[in-house]
Amino acid sequence: MIKANNLKKRFGSTVALDDVSFEVRKGETFGLLGPNGAGKTTTIRLLCGLTKPDSGMVALNGKTDPTLVEVRSSLGVVPQTLAIYEELSAEENLRFFGRIYGLSGRQLKERVRNCLDIAGLAQRSKERVSKYSGGMKRRLNMVCSFLHEPPLLLLDEPTVGVDPQSRNSIFETIEAMKKQGRTIIYTTHYMEEAERLCDRVAILDHGRILDMDSVHNLVVKHGGPSRVEAELEQSPSDPEEIKRLIDNKNIQLEGTKIRFETSQPMESLATLNRSGVSFKSLKVQTANLEDVFLNLTGRRLRD
Amino acid sequence: MKKVLFLAVKDLKVLLSSKGNIFWVFGFPVLFALFFGAIYSGVGKGPSGMRIAVVDEDMSEFSDSYTSKLKSDEALEIVQQSRDEAIEQVRKGQIAAAVVLKKGFGDGFEALFNSDEPKLEIAADPSRKMESGYLQGLLAKAQFEALGEKFADRNWMRQQITLWKDDVKDANDLDAKQAKLFLDFFGAFDTLLKDVNEQDFNAGFDGEMLNFAKLDVNREYEGPITPFQITFPQVLLWGFIGCTATFAISIVKERTNGTFERLRVGPIERAHILGGKGLSCFFTCILIMCILSIGAKAIFKMPMGNWLLFTTAVLCTILCFVGLMMFICTLGRTEQSVGAAGWAIFMITGMLGGAMMPLAYMPAWTRPFSHISPVKWGILALEGAVWRNFTPLEMINPCLILLAIGTTAFLLGVAMLRRQDK
Repeated sequence: MIKANNLKKRFGSTVALDDVSFEVRKGETFGLLGPNGAGKTTTIRLLCGLTKPDSGMVALNGKTDPTLVEVRSSLGVVPQTLAIYEELSAEENLRFFGRIYGLSGRQLKERVRNCLDIAGLAQRSKERVSKYSGGMKRRLNMVCSFLHEPPLLLLDEPTVGVDPQSRNSIFETIEAMKKQGRTIIYTTHYMEEAERLCDRVAILDHGRILDMDSVHNLVVKHGGPSRVEAELEQSPSDPEEIKRLIDNKNIQLEGTKIRFETSQPMESLATLNRSGVSFKSLKVQTANLEDVFLNLTGRRLRD
Repeated sequence: MKKVLFLAVKDLKVLLSSKGNIFWVFGFPVLFALFFGAIYSGVGKGPSGMRIAVVDEDMSEFSDSYTSKLKSDEALEIVQQSRDEAIEQVRKGQIAAAVVLKKGFGDGFEALFNSDEPKLEIAADPSRKMESGYLQGLLAKAQFEALGEKFADRNWMRQQITLWKDDVKDANDLDAKQAKLFLDFFGAFDTLLKDVNEQDFNAGFDGEMLNFAKLDVNREYEGPITPFQITFPQVLLWGFIGCTATFAISIVKERTNGTFERLRVGPIERAHILGGKGLSCFFTCILIMCILSIGAKAIFKMPMGNWLLFTTAVLCTILCFVGLMMFICTLGRTEQSVGAAGWAIFMITGMLGGAMMPLAYMPAWTRPFSHISPVKWGILALEGAVWRNFTPLEMINPCLILLAIGTTAFLLGVAMLRRQDK
């Protein structure tokens, strides 16, 4: 459905994108995860034809020119900035953008009402947007792109500067869109968002895709071992026996407390339990995308 | 086209949602009209002339008469002071000039026309050179009027003739033949003054030294030109300027806010977006024109001249300013920079074009530059329709220039926008 082949883009001496390629399947939610300046927004701009690549090719539904009216009609773009008219009301904004996408009459009315409900703005639909909170504006900014019910959605950090309640509402909306079978590209620098929403994630840094896979596979490949901390009911009579059981020489034992790293935490704990070790408390810290990014780049996502 | 209309309607809604915009686009031109219309019509009729001080050191009958002549001139507001006070006030900028009538000012022709030792001195504010020149004209006029009264006094004239005859007799460098010619002429003039009857004398010297009639330059004069009729083109221009500046800023605002990009990823062309902006600016200018024209007609009973030519002039002026809007919006990347650049350009072109003060009052070196100001051509076209009674042929020149400026600015603006968006 969406294809990006060897995309390259420079702004002066800055390399924004360096040979970026990916493919997004129909109905898939694809995440672009990376820190600020990684090239996420540039990728979105190239996909929707706002910027031309220096080289490489983009194809949306098989069409290689994203500026074609038929391509743009099938595209919903949620920009990072608040692209709404603060001088108008939410309803006026939605009506205007709906008309631009060719909606009219009862269809426009229904879609506007639906979008106001999704954004939770039905009660304040006639108020000027300038009086809304930041979260309300973000929600409106997002639903303005859903009005024409596009099969392709490009969301560029839609939760920037949003309160937890609005963020949750945005997540629920995106999850509803996923269920409807829409194809989504979602950029973020929050790993929790990518983990929650995305079927596959591309890790982007300095304009290059470092790896791309499902969250689970990325964590398995690059996340490193999980960390296990446990408190035993009794101190082990033979500490060496425990090391042997789970085949881990780096295990730390301090009285009843035990700490070790493993790529298979549940299996290790089950083995210990079967050999008669009983646990008072357990804490398993599995690797996540933050660890993946750290291991791939040597930096944290929000450095 | 439908989408362009949706864009234009949206822009109008956005424009009308701000009180500031409404003031600058609609309120300011109306205030401008009222203010300058009132100035030209002389509301209040209070002292409105140039304030000058007269220092009468001569204290003669002639200097008194001269001061009275100055006081009776509506263009002047006279205060009588001592020399020091008057010069101090000029220095402080409180009065435009001080006129000193020195001792001997009223001693007849010799005192008045003696270039070696002038009996009239002027201390003028150096920053008010134009007024100083105007004042010299008014002083000369008063002098001629006062002299006119003296000419009507046959005894004073005969005394002057006696003095001139004495001068001729004392002039050693004058040869005898020339001296006789002068003495014969003065003798005959003296006899005339002595013997002419009162009626004929008064008919010959009625004291009106400067008398002139005004020639009508209107082709078809249809009643008096009102002060508001004269200011109306400038008022319209200020309305268009306010509107253009506001819309230029609104384009940048769309770009910085991201709404421009949201529109660009929609199923519309860039030309639609820019066309929508241009159309809304055009509609707003038309609205301004309608409001001001209706107000001028209904409230000030202003004759509108030739409606067809007026409509042509308005359309050409508006199209020119729509083009300028497109160019000005590319002069910066923020609302502040475009706002500042836009108003700076309009202030300069407005001043050069005569929207602030008539071109005649501008320094001569600035006048050639007025040709590049769209404001000048806009005012000329509108004046041509409203009160200069231009023929359609005469209207072609300013209208074509306006369209040329507008088209060039529009194309330049679109090209620059395209370049900036790359």
